[in-house]
Amino acid sequence: MPQVKIIAKNFMDMVSSLPAMKLDKLYENAFICEAILRSLPPLAKKYVLQLLYIDVPVSASSLQEWVLVDGASKHRVAVDRLIQLRVFTETVDRKKEATYRLNLMFQMNLRKHVVHGGVLPREPMAANITVRLPSLEELDNYAAQQWECFLLHLINSAEVEVTTKSISPSMMKVFQRGLLSQRDNEGSRLTESGFQFLLMDTNAQLWYIIREYISNSEDRGVDSADLISFLLELSFHVTGEAYNMNTLDEIQRITVKDLADLGLIKLQQGRKDSWFIPTKLATNLSISLSDASSRKQGYVVVETNFRLYAYSTSKLHCEILRLFARVEYQLPNLIVGSITKENLYKAFSNGITADQIISFLQQNAHPRVAEKVPSVPENVTDQIRLWESDLNRVEMTPAHFFDDFPSRDVFEAACDFAREYSSLLWEDSKKMQLIVKTEIYAHMKEFLSHQK
Amino acid sequence: MGHGDKSGRPSKKHKSSTKEDYKAAAFEEEDAYYVEEFGDDDRDGDGEGKKRDFTKLELKADHVNRPLWACADGRIFLETFSPLYKQAYDFLIAIAEPVCRPESMHEYNLTPHSLYAAVSVGLETETIISVLNKLSKTKLPKEMIDFIHASTSNYGKVKLVLKKNRYLVESPFPEVLKRLLSDEVISRARISNEGDDGFAVSRSVGEIDGRHEELLTEAQLAAAAEEKEAHSFEIDPGQVENVKQRCLPNALNYPMLEEYDFRNDTINPDLEMELKPQAQPRPYQEKSLSKMFGNGRARSGIIVLPCGAGKSLVGVSAACRIKKSCLCLATNAVSVDQWAFQFKLWSNIRDDHICRFTSDSKERFRGNAGVVVTTYNMVAFGGKRSEESEKIIEEIRNREWGLLLMDEVHVVPAHMFRKVISITKSHCKLGLTATLVREDERITDLNFLIGPKLYEANWLDLVKGGFIANVQCAEVWCPMTKEFFAEYLKKENSKKKQALYVMNPNKFRACEFLIRFHEEQRGDKIIVFADNLFALTEYAMKLHKPMIYVNILMCSHIERTKILEAFKTSKTVNTVFLSKVGDNSIDIPEANVIIQISSHAGSRRQEAQRLGRILRAKGRLQDRMAGGKEEYNAFFYSLVSTDTQEMYYSTKRQQFLIDQGYSFKVITSLPPPDTGAELSYHRLEDQLSLLSNVLNAGDDKLGLEILEDDTDDIALQKARARRMMGSMSAMSGAKGMLYHEFRSGQKGGFGKSKPKDPAKRHTLFKKRFV
Repeated sequence: MPQVKIIAKNFMDMVSSLPAMKLDKLYENAFICEAILRSLPPLAKKYVLQLLYIDVPVSASSLQEWVLVDGASKHRVAVDRLIQLRVFTETVDRKKEATYRLNLMFQMNLRKHVVHGGVLPREPMAANITVRLPSLEELDNYAAQQWECFLLHLINSAEVEVTTKSISPSMMKVFQRGLLSQRDNEGSRLTESGFQFLLMDTNAQLWYIIREYISNSEDRGVDSADLISFLLELSFHVTGEAYNMNTLDEIQRITVKDLADLGLIKLQQGRKDSWFIPTKLATNLSISLSDASSRKQGYVVVETNFRLYAYSTSKLHCEILRLFARVEYQLPNLIVGSITKENLYKAFSNGITADQIISFLQQNAHPRVAEKVPSVPENVTDQIRLWESDLNRVEMTPAHFFDDFPSRDVFEAACDFAREYSSLLWEDSKKMQLIVKTEIYAHMKEFLSHQK
Repeated sequence: MGHGDKSGRPSKKHKSSTKEDYKAAAFEEEDAYYVEEFGDDDRDGDGEGKKRDFTKLELKADHVNRPLWACADGRIFLETFSPLYKQAYDFLIAIAEPVCRPESMHEYNLTPHSLYAAVSVGLETETIISVLNKLSKTKLPKEMIDFIHASTSNYGKVKLVLKKNRYLVESPFPEVLKRLLSDEVISRARISNEGDDGFAVSRSVGEIDGRHEELLTEAQLAAAAEEKEAHSFEIDPGQVENVKQRCLPNALNYPMLEEYDFRNDTINPDLEMELKPQAQPRPYQEKSLSKMFGNGRARSGIIVLPCGAGKSLVGVSAACRIKKSCLCLATNAVSVDQWAFQFKLWSNIRDDHICRFTSDSKERFRGNAGVVVTTYNMVAFGGKRSEESEKIIEEIRNREWGLLLMDEVHVVPAHMFRKVISITKSHCKLGLTATLVREDERITDLNFLIGPKLYEANWLDLVKGGFIANVQCAEVWCPMTKEFFAEYLKKENSKKKQALYVMNPNKFRACEFLIRFHEEQRGDKIIVFADNLFALTEYAMKLHKPMIYVNILMCSHIERTKILEAFKTSKTVNTVFLSKVGDNSIDIPEANVIIQISSHAGSRRQEAQRLGRILRAKGRLQDRMAGGKEEYNAFFYSLVSTDTQEMYYSTKRQQFLIDQGYSFKVITSLPPPDTGAELSYHRLEDQLSLLSNVLNAGDDKLGLEILEDDTDDIALQKARARRMMGSMSAMSGAKGMLYHEFRSGQKGGFGKSKPKDPAKRHTLFKKRFV
């Protein structure tokens, strides 16, 4: 099973990690070029525009002269980024002097764009065809609901009644890989990463899922570059507008259906046409993840007596809280629970760390307590950390126990031998017993057999 | 809680036979539900089984503006940030039992007892339901409405009024009186002078109480203000106790409220006493008094205020309003002095109208009315008394007291109350306490012996208002030293476990560090508490500090007073060591730091009481108020040895305070790692000699101090199945455990540890010292 490392990087990092061939292919799409340009750091943007109409390579040293001394680090970041994305192609001549020039395809497309103006990837449909489009608020609710439903489904919560046609089981398996561990008898359990995943905010979770989706595309016979370019395109669509399904090719149509299950897109069927409506989740896809404005309002109040009050109607929230707290009351718009040692120990044994729980509580603090410093009472955070460190007080060392030594000499020799490898953990010279680290068990046995 | 009667709900049969029309059918199904759900107000129960799903309750459209949720099982959640918080709080505290009251969200439980209290302060069933409904974010669950009906249908309907020395059973509902009279005992006790079965009808004024005005419709308000008819019949004074018994929940289930119409009492002589003009009751003191005197009469009941919040002023004010003879009961001689002082401080009572009655001072007041301050023990004492005492107690027995004022009602066992109450005749009983929690759950007895809880203040609100000190609570984790822990784990030392974790050198060092820090850096006054007498003496001697403890034969009042006086006035005596005697009643207003080195198992009450010693607010009011200069002005340290029983107990002990909104900060490294060389027991040899001291001390010396009559403690003891009885010599102080007083700074001579006899050393150490 592959080890899932959850790192919340952004979409452009994903793009930059594509192989060179794929990247070049990506730049055939004028629209992608624009998206890439937009995503660049400010200084990098400036370099691109300055080099846009220069057809010869520019040496690194002359590029260097454009910046003041204290801008050197920004300069380095910008250039690195450009090279990573293959917007700059770097050549090193015999004198070991580097020169840069813009990626030809990228340059051409961008020049076209400057002259002819930008185009949207596709035009929204006329309002007279699409009769009743959801309002933005409805759309947000839909997206949130769909995403929550997907998450509940993901963690295999038995209580969830499946309301929508769910993602194909094979896709679900893909997503669950790493988050759930399948055991033959006891059904699936959340893994360490799974728990961590649930505590992340929506953008980070979305990004994780999308990354899985992209990295698996090849298995489904979909080119990852195509997929990335389509997803990038999507983020340039307007939230709440309807786009005709006719404009999509076969692969994109399948993708749209998958995304609809995640809540990135809402599908609607008219009398003749069918169309898709991107939700906020889709259009925010390329926005930087740390963007605070996209964060939802918090809902959790933690009291000094370890009581926890969550203003939420969401089943998912309830499931998440249950990961580390005892849920005692569920009211129409409030979940009441308490953080107990038992529940925390359960969480710790599932691989959730104290810091993750604390930062979850802090990030989701109800506005009523969010302004307070600290938003989660200090004694609670301290205690959570103390309970965690309590578990780490005992250190385990795999070891082997020897006794029944034929003579004191053999015992002493064995002790000396183990000491030599600094693997003697414990000895009782009276009873002639000793414990050594597992590493030297084989050597020890061999040593003892020689002694006899 | 049992089925039916005991819980205060009528049994099904009786229900459908007497009660009007509210949905008898509903009770069939509901009854089973109640039995399951009510009665376990203890939420320590574990497991997800306790989870309750009330998501089906219907939210009102404007729920954001309403402050509370009410659950079918009686639990109520209150948002403290709601604009309606103040009104909702006053209302809830009257009808429900607070479970926890931290900053943002309070929890309450509706219980039969709390509703009894509500009814007895004049709230009516319909008022309770309609106000609750107005405050609730959701529609009230039907179960709750039914529960309120069921609980209040009987409670508070009948009053026992002592009027012009005639005992009247009074009720606005003639049908209830008829029901009572159908009981043989009661009908025999009745004195009927009219010759027929009619009841005397009088008019009584409704509640003068505008607290819930804004929440009630005008019609309801008008109804409350209207004069009400009260029906009554008279009973034989000799039968009062019997009649009361018949009305208790285990019999007819119409518990009687006692009210005293003191203004119309012309038989008992008035006592001339007024509050002095400078005695200004604070808002919450006013509120508690208004609950007591809400309808112009004096109700019996209990008022709960945190220590240091001015309980004595409430008591003295009550006595001043009633203006009749008053019997004031305290727990010990020191607090008798303090109560007498309080009476003189707050009221203009003449000196010869107040007297103390203790084993040391047997005073009598002059004139035909006065105040007597004494202890529960003095009154309840069953043995032979001196001639003088006998005379005084005779007087106490014969007098008709206007007010029986009882301090610290939570510490006195129920049988003592019964005795005191049966010996003394009083028109009105007022119980005062800071913590209505006991480990033996005897609190419910108080409800019927004294009366319902009339008022309970919110600690955090008082802290915010600057009325009590803002205490920083800390739990200091002291790791056991290797050697002590090894001994602690040995089976043969099971009786010494407590001594071992209390005498843990790391704990000693933490204690010494804290004392130095607070004495030298902040100039604070410190109390150190230790239940374990061995530890108390060891610590106090080693650190050259005075100590106070009690044992049965050496309870010198004078010596105690002397030390306390020195602590209050002297600049050199800044720390005093106290045993359990200091837990309550000893007033030490100067102290603002408490260090607790040993405590009594899991007693929540003790923890709260000890904290109470430093709650009296010091300094200027504006500095103390929320946002003032000093964030914390008092400190409470609880020192626990890690990995021992103490850890478990400390969690349990803190529960009450945590529920009041206090939080304990955990400190893990004291003294700080880079310091501490100058503290005691820095060297291993010293630690080992201490260990051998502990191990050599007789088991009898290491035990706990047992105060008489503290059943709460005994309940705790039982759980540990060990009651220490010291040897005679140990108790009399013949073993060198006399009271000593040291001046800090005085070195050498007395306090130094005695030279060790190597022969007495524990085998473990012998080889190390030879």
